[in-house]
Amino acid sequence: MKNFFSLLLAITALPLLAQTQVTSTIGQQQAAQVVRIGIPFPDLAPGLDPQTINNAFFSPLTRDLATSGVFAIAPLPPGVAPTPELAKRVGALYLLRLQVITEGEDNVVRARLIDTTGTEALAKGYRGQVATLTKIAHMLANDLVALVAGNKSGIFLSQIAFASDRSGSWEIWLMDWDGGNQRQITRHNALSILPSWSPDNQRMVYTSFVRGTSDMYIINRVGGGRMRLYTGLGLNTSATFSPTGGDIAFVGSVNGNPDIYVIKDDGSNLRRLTTSSSIESTPEWSPNGRQISFTSGRSGSPQIYVMDAEGTNVRRISFEGEWNDDATWSPGGDEIAYTSRVSGRFQIRVANIVTGQSRIIAGEGSNEQPAWSPDGKWIAFQSNRTGRWQVSRMRADGHDIQQLTTAGENKDPDWSKKAE
Amino acid sequence: MKKTMKAFALGLVIVSLALVPACRSKKTVEPQTHPDTIASATVPDVPPPPLTSTTTTVAKPDDFVQEKPVQEETLPNDIEELNRVAQQRGLIADAFFNYEESTLSAEAQNALQTSASWLKKNPQYNLLIEGHCDERGTEQYNLALGDRRANTAKEYLATLGVDSARIRTVSYGEERPFDPGHDESAWAKNRRAHLVLVGK
Repeated sequence: MKNFFSLLLAITALPLLAQTQVTSTIGQQQAAQVVRIGIPFPDLAPGLDPQTINNAFFSPLTRDLATSGVFAIAPLPPGVAPTPELAKRVGALYLLRLQVITEGEDNVVRARLIDTTGTEALAKGYRGQVATLTKIAHMLANDLVALVAGNKSGIFLSQIAFASDRSGSWEIWLMDWDGGNQRQITRHNALSILPSWSPDNQRMVYTSFVRGTSDMYIINRVGGGRMRLYTGLGLNTSATFSPTGGDIAFVGSVNGNPDIYVIKDDGSNLRRLTTSSSIESTPEWSPNGRQISFTSGRSGSPQIYVMDAEGTNVRRISFEGEWNDDATWSPGGDEIAYTSRVSGRFQIRVANIVTGQSRIIAGEGSNEQPAWSPDGKWIAFQSNRTGRWQVSRMRADGHDIQQLTTAGENKDPDWSKKAE
Repeated sequence: MKKTMKAFALGLVIVSLALVPACRSKKTVEPQTHPDTIASATVPDVPPPPLTSTTTTVAKPDDFVQEKPVQEETLPNDIEELNRVAQQRGLIADAFFNYEESTLSAEAQNALQTSASWLKKNPQYNLLIEGHCDERGTEQYNLALGDRRANTAKEYLATLGVDSARIRTVSYGEERPFDPGHDESAWAKNRRAHLVLVGK
């Protein structure tokens, strides 16, 4: 990378990276060596407002790097030139020198990472419209983490889908991984809930009551097309794409008997996977698509079960708590996070799929609907600890809980399936 | 009149019983007196009481609870107003459930029996049954539980003679609580199969 200089012109659409195998190792970030980095405020072209650049670019960038587990940000004295000597003075391995200029309608960000000898470890430019400054911040953070940690899949561009009632009805919304850039996706003016990403992040499936019954809808990220997935069954809830993207598992009901079904994303090839007379709900595919976890009331209370993707070989995996639901697999496939009632209160429990050992990781209030980040290091969830339902995020070991939403009530988080 | 009838009947039984041994011992016995002779001897030469007097006696308030006369009441045309009035007057009534359950209690069955009677008399309306749950569960499982509650109510109405083709169900799980409170009284109100009349 040394002496390499490239100016990448990024407008809005980004190439899709190949899916990366990510393993979830709790506490890895604590064990890894943290790199100290000094980041002076960017040099700005005349006419650019420092406050705007700070809010849209500098602040998200430094937040990303500070939470990356890879970098620690060294405080810098004011008014000192950003030189290799300054880096040495503050005990930093690197200085990140930033410049923001305008070219026509676009902003261009130039970033240079220099070490204490003045050698350039990274030199890269990013171009985009003013509205994409925050996206550029997340892209740059991804690149820096990839450079230093050798990890190609930083999660700073990942997105969290959720349901919010802030517009007056429950609709599907999106936000950046840090809670920024919250935007409304559906406008059904009707109860619309439980969004779930496709594995390529290009589609979402969710349930809406817009027709007076509950139906599944698939929407495209680009083009805005929406398709109702007709099943001929009741409920049509808890929809989730298979890792290959061609199938959708969901809860269908015939005469009040909810079971797990699978249907192709074009509405063909409906298959019933469970046949119990009890209530079955909440299917979720394992990362390799060979297994499906689900909730069943067959033992007398809702508990988590796992079956092969064909519906065979059913076994129970939750034995603690009188009400368990919302099971979801870690990206590495070795752990399942689920909602578990402990002493009358719902908590997030993470269980090892092989050993069966589990731990409780969320705190105050009721905490439900866990969703793993694509690198397995974070879990988004909903909590009512403030008195209203809000979406929060925490490390997979339960630390660093941060509330991401504040407007209205918010729930049903689902994290995009892979880093971009 | 009733007492007189009873005494007469009792007398007949006694007479019959008295005659039984005689009948068995003697295969042919002439009646000692001819009924006509008795009648002619005891009935005075006056006309029999009019039949209307019997009717008056039977209708005594002591014997039957007096129901208020049935009055026809007009139902509102507006469907929302109709639902409000129908619930208020108890023409249709929601079925309530115990925590985590979808079986019908005696009270829930009574509510649905009342509803079924009215629905059968008013075929101009269809029915939407909404399944609801309290907040003390998880959202996704409660959607399934609400579906089961709504369908349990639908099945029971069908066994009571309401055409199931008139009934549609939807589950709102814990999404639409009737009472936003967080105590048992609120939760009890929120565990229900809610009956909604809809136009055809």
